[in-house]
Amino acid sequence: MADLMRKDTQTPAIDKTGMLLGPPVVRSIGVVNWRGLWTLYVREVTRFYKVGTQTLAAPVVTTLLFFIIFSVALEGDGRTVGDVPFTVFLAPGLIMMAILQSSFANTSSTIMVSKVQGNIVDVLMPPLSSAELTLAFAAGGVTRGVLVGLAAGTAMWVFAGLQLHDPLAIVFHAVAASVMLSLLGLIGGIWAEKFDHIAAMTNFVVVPLSFLSGTFYSIGRLPEGWQDVARFNPFFYAIDGFRYGFIGRADSQLWVSVTVMIVINAALFALVYRLFATGYKLKS
Amino acid sequence: MDSGIWRKRPRVRHFGAINGRGLATFYRREVHRGFKIWGITLAAPAIRALLFAGVFTLVVGGSGKIALGMPFMEFLVPGLIAVAILERAFESAAFSMVYDKTEGIFGDLATAPLTPGELVVAYAGASVTGALIAGTVVWVALLPLGGQVPVAPLAVVYFAVSGALIIGLFSQIVGLWAPKWDYLAGVQTFIFLPFVFLSGVFFSLDQLPAALQPWARANPIFYIVDGVRFGITGHADANPLTGVIVTLVCIAVLSALSYRLFAIGYRFKS
Repeated sequence: MADLMRKDTQTPAIDKTGMLLGPPVVRSIGVVNWRGLWTLYVREVTRFYKVGTQTLAAPVVTTLLFFIIFSVALEGDGRTVGDVPFTVFLAPGLIMMAILQSSFANTSSTIMVSKVQGNIVDVLMPPLSSAELTLAFAAGGVTRGVLVGLAAGTAMWVFAGLQLHDPLAIVFHAVAASVMLSLLGLIGGIWAEKFDHIAAMTNFVVVPLSFLSGTFYSIGRLPEGWQDVARFNPFFYAIDGFRYGFIGRADSQLWVSVTVMIVINAALFALVYRLFATGYKLKS
Repeated sequence: MDSGIWRKRPRVRHFGAINGRGLATFYRREVHRGFKIWGITLAAPAIRALLFAGVFTLVVGGSGKIALGMPFMEFLVPGLIAVAILERAFESAAFSMVYDKTEGIFGDLATAPLTPGELVVAYAGASVTGALIAGTVVWVALLPLGGQVPVAPLAVVYFAVSGALIIGLFSQIVGLWAPKWDYLAGVQTFIFLPFVFLSGVFFSLDQLPAALQPWARANPIFYIVDGVRFGITGHADANPLTGVIVTLVCIAVLSALSYRLFAIGYRFKS
């Protein structure tokens, strides 16, 4: 008996087959519920990994298609952006576009599916704080974004030949952009009541913003007034900084894009935390 | 008396060789399904086409680029309209069928008094209707960005209808085959989109490396896109008559195949 008492605060004794030896014990959780955090994160990653053809292979095919279209349609006449060939300029933008859309899709769909299937309560009930929920979901989206970025990047490297200028800028912007879109996806998923709403946000917000933020052109090509508008688009900084890491040339300053990404991510994290904490559209 | 209670005993409804009412009902249901989510089926294709047109305008921007003997944007716009038509046609029957499968009501097809021929016609009719409307919406949306009034309206109508029909029939076959959404998304991403995007929508085939050109010409979608472009601008890459023959052959083969699959109840009668 004394032996069992002593084990109370530790993991319960388990035999080889996973059976409990003795009575179940209370698991004490510290400031952070690491095991819960990790469990939700693993669930999020498994969710997209199980349908890898759709979530990892499909974006690579789409990226390659875009690359072929734009390079065949526009490369022939020796088109350049600044002093780099158009294809070299284009490749990082396309990789970033795949990252942005994948991260958003991951977090928005996980919340939406749980809501529609009615099992969102299984995420809200466990001993996970709002911050832990935000962190685990966002980490899942970031993992998918970064994996898609790696896969699309490898494909681009094979077909277009990427150069590396500043790997740190590449990694920072890839991760920061994934975080931003994962958090936006969470907001979208919490807000949406039907799949149509998610589709609308993807079609009318995420895709246009990622198309129009300098993926395909330097914003110097825009008319004067629109250049200022483009600089209010956070996606622009994600793509611009990411591309700087490859070609060493940016429309904006590196420190500006880094600052913008950090500030926006902090604000979005606070907002998502608040949504989970108040239970907006999740708890009644 | 008029409270909805039968005033007469129900009778057997007789119909002739064709179940006209059943056909019309089924067609209406399929068309209605597409329109209920018009944000996805009409507004989204228009936005995507506008994005492509906008991005190409900015990139090409006043460089005087010529494709097939016309300014690049004039070349591109008919291609974008064709893409909208083909995408809508692909997403019609297959998505409807897989939805019914996940809801577990797809087997109702086997019990409805509709012959395989009527099912093929109803699904195909709905696909063509939806696709033509999506194409018209995109055409209007692109008018300010290099669109124009068709120079040969009959050719546009022929190639738009036959293109929607070909992909609509293909969509039926995919829908019958696919047990789940994943399969549908797989066909769309790995087969349909590459065929459409590499069919000369964004570039004329002579811009491709010489070795790839014969392959690109073996893609039936190339003839649809080229035919729509011929009807709108009057410029074509291939002979439009070749396009007519290719599309007719495709329609014959695909409708026969789809008819056969419905007749044997492929994956819905056991």
